[in-house]
Amino acid sequence: MVPAPDDRADESGGITPLLRVRALSKTFAGTKALDDVCFDLHRGEVLAIVGQNGSGKSTLVKVLAGVHQADPGGEIDVSAVGRGARREQLHFIHQDLGLIEQLSTTENLDLSRRLGLRDLLPGGRRGEHERAALLVRRAGAAIDVRSPVARLSPAERTIVALARAMNGWPRPDGVLVLDEPTASFHSSEAQRLFDAIRHVRDAGAGVLFISHRLGEIRAIADRVIVLRDGCSVLEVPVDEADDATLVRAIVGSEINGRRERDASTFGNVRLKVVDLVGIRLAGVSLSVQAGEILGVSGVLGSGREELGSLLFGSVRRRSGSVEVDGKTLRAGDVADAIGAGMGLVPANRAQQGAVLLMNVRENLTLAGLQSVQRRFGWIPRRPERAEATRWARAVDLRPADPERPMAQLSGGNQQKVVLAKWLRTMPNVLVLDEPTAGVDVGAKVSIYELVRDAASQGTAVVISSSDTKELAEVCDRVVVLNGGCVVGELSGAALTEQAVLYMSFEVSAAAVAAS
Amino acid sequence: MSTGVQPRPTDNPETPLPPTSRTEPQLGPSRWNRFKRQASFRNVGALYILAAMFVIFSLWEPDTFLTVLTWRLLLDNQAISAIIAVAVVVPLSAGVIDLALGTEVGMGAIVVAWLITDKSVSVPVAFTLTLVIGAAIGVVVAGLIVKARIRSLIATLAMSSILIALINWLSGSEPINVVSSSFHTIATGELFGVVYPVYFAAGVSLIVWYVLEHSSFGRRVYATGANPDASRLAGVRTSRIILGATVTCGVLSAFAGLLTASQISTGDPTISANFLLPAIAAAFLGSTQFKGGRFNVAGTLVAVAVLAVGVEGLELGGAPVWTPDLFNGVVLLLAVGFAQMQRSPTRRTAAITRTIRSMGGSRKSETS
Repeated sequence: MVPAPDDRADESGGITPLLRVRALSKTFAGTKALDDVCFDLHRGEVLAIVGQNGSGKSTLVKVLAGVHQADPGGEIDVSAVGRGARREQLHFIHQDLGLIEQLSTTENLDLSRRLGLRDLLPGGRRGEHERAALLVRRAGAAIDVRSPVARLSPAERTIVALARAMNGWPRPDGVLVLDEPTASFHSSEAQRLFDAIRHVRDAGAGVLFISHRLGEIRAIADRVIVLRDGCSVLEVPVDEADDATLVRAIVGSEINGRRERDASTFGNVRLKVVDLVGIRLAGVSLSVQAGEILGVSGVLGSGREELGSLLFGSVRRRSGSVEVDGKTLRAGDVADAIGAGMGLVPANRAQQGAVLLMNVRENLTLAGLQSVQRRFGWIPRRPERAEATRWARAVDLRPADPERPMAQLSGGNQQKVVLAKWLRTMPNVLVLDEPTAGVDVGAKVSIYELVRDAASQGTAVVISSSDTKELAEVCDRVVVLNGGCVVGELSGAALTEQAVLYMSFEVSAAAVAAS
Repeated sequence: MSTGVQPRPTDNPETPLPPTSRTEPQLGPSRWNRFKRQASFRNVGALYILAAMFVIFSLWEPDTFLTVLTWRLLLDNQAISAIIAVAVVVPLSAGVIDLALGTEVGMGAIVVAWLITDKSVSVPVAFTLTLVIGAAIGVVVAGLIVKARIRSLIATLAMSSILIALINWLSGSEPINVVSSSFHTIATGELFGVVYPVYFAAGVSLIVWYVLEHSSFGRRVYATGANPDASRLAGVRTSRIILGATVTCGVLSAFAGLLTASQISTGDPTISANFLLPAIAAAFLGSTQFKGGRFNVAGTLVAVAVLAVGVEGLELGGAPVWTPDLFNGVVLLLAVGFAQMQRSPTRRTAAITRTIRSMGGSRKSETS
């Protein structure tokens, strides 16, 4: 771990940036996910990259990591330590940290080491613990390296991942890329990670910090780059930009594609939620009328991500009540919610939404199977196939073949099937959790269309989404969550993407400042 | 917008249309391809193996293999194996691996013999009670999996050990003789020259086939096995489905045990070990047939036949006593391994073809 003198670095005297990105573009099937992105990352600097969903942040990370090949002409120069392929020179900490929870910090740090025969011999444990503790100290933290990673807090785990990424650096000026590292944190915890990042930065590392939260960027970054539609639209030192400037840069010029709908056409209250409490949610009350589309916004960690499952009962609520058409749903009872006419399109499509091993027809009729069954539970083949074909066409499934295995469909088409499964049951309340995550643009448009149609037929719709553009476009009203509580509500002319984003960001900025 | 409804003639939907389909009428290649897909080795490989073995053994040992007696004995002997294999298809479809299967059969054999001989219960009552006890074992297994949240592999492994203990406790580790001609008739009586168990096996298979593939319960069983989370979120009460599956398996294996006892007029406490592996092997081998990886009754029956004919042929040919075990193991590995191997390159080829096509469309790719 002794810093080795490097002639090249001495000559350049620190002027050469650690990471130099020039004219970086990436095209997917005709759309530019990244468009001529240029930036430098210097020693001892934290550079933040912010942007919406779909702005190109994750594509940038993936291109840097070598998961995607950049379009020809782009340059990525790394003058950091380390040899070999680029992915060995840049060090990534992804949202999923890739730690094995049952193992201790020491063992996790040890995993990346190449094993020899000698490792079969016993002994050497103490040395290992000391080495691990040293690595963690280099990230400016003190953690019990013997206890399983599962017992550490999310911030501590991230620090372990940080230590692992820095394991084996001959000198402290490497490049770290942190992809939304605080997404799973309570905002008070972020401070510990920030201390670690500052420590690493002060030792000479360059840190690329990808984030959603403006408050954190203010707290940790030296410079910020705003990405929008794949282009870098703003690059400023953090001190020189106020929040309003940043939000404007993130959102861009807003085209309001929303069709204003008359609130007086909405019917009775179909969904009534009082003081709903979950793991993150701390007392949320909502009500949605028949025909209304309610949006729920909030950054990760705001409690938004668990709202859908709590309403539906797939996660048991701790207290509070959920009523559909005046009937209180039993806590943690999905069948009761379905019986009351609720449907949920969950965020995790592969795990919870679609049965990938079955075909489209079987997925479509799985909810409300009783409508296609006859005596003795017999499901006659033809009527079921006709019903499935009808729905496949109704949701513009491509191709509209009900016998195709679900696993062979694109994400967008799978989501259409999951949605159609519930639309077929004519739900009273439809809850959609991140309905267009991983869905192509064409399918997005049809999904919005289907949701609007359902609403106009009297369904009360709740869309919980991190895509603020979607919320501003599709919803009649949006509530913003933060810290598990409703902190604002927007409707009518006040409901713009900028307003939603600003409301979500500003409050989280305050939360970080307060910590 | 409306292009989606065109009939697609290819078997693998992600591969581009073969060149022929652009010039010929759509229906021809569609039927031919469907036939080709259904008759492919990947889909019905076991049938080909069965046919090949038939030809080989017929040529090798025409005097013994091609006699009516051989085939009647084969049928008689395999009826009970078929019932057990079909029984285990149900929990497997629901995602439950039932390692207690063999001991559930053994339990059925002991319980019925014990009731009739030691407790002097009448045959019909003993018959019914045995099935009830089989169902009760199913309830316990489901409880362990659903309520205690123990993985099915562990729960049924423990269960099988407990059942072995019960079997030995009831029987005192000695075979229980049953002196009752009416009981003996259940498994040995004949109708049109074929013993009753063959009809039982046919009936059980028919019912399980119908329930699994044509009823809403079966749909929910498969959904539970394929993705329990998504099924639950679609309103499937997965706990009840698992209960239904384990109870079905419990009743059917108790019935098979009862038949075994009836066949030899004895409740033998040592038979349990002989049933688990062949049944599981048949179910897994069967899952590679007809339904593209889904456990199913028809495939399982074919698999039972393949294993039985193979073993019979080898035995008639004078192969040593350990060949059946070897044969079962090798066939299972070959069939399942082959199905895996065929599946993965197809996916890869499809991905490559897609990529090539999206890059501007070379015709070479379409030969695959």
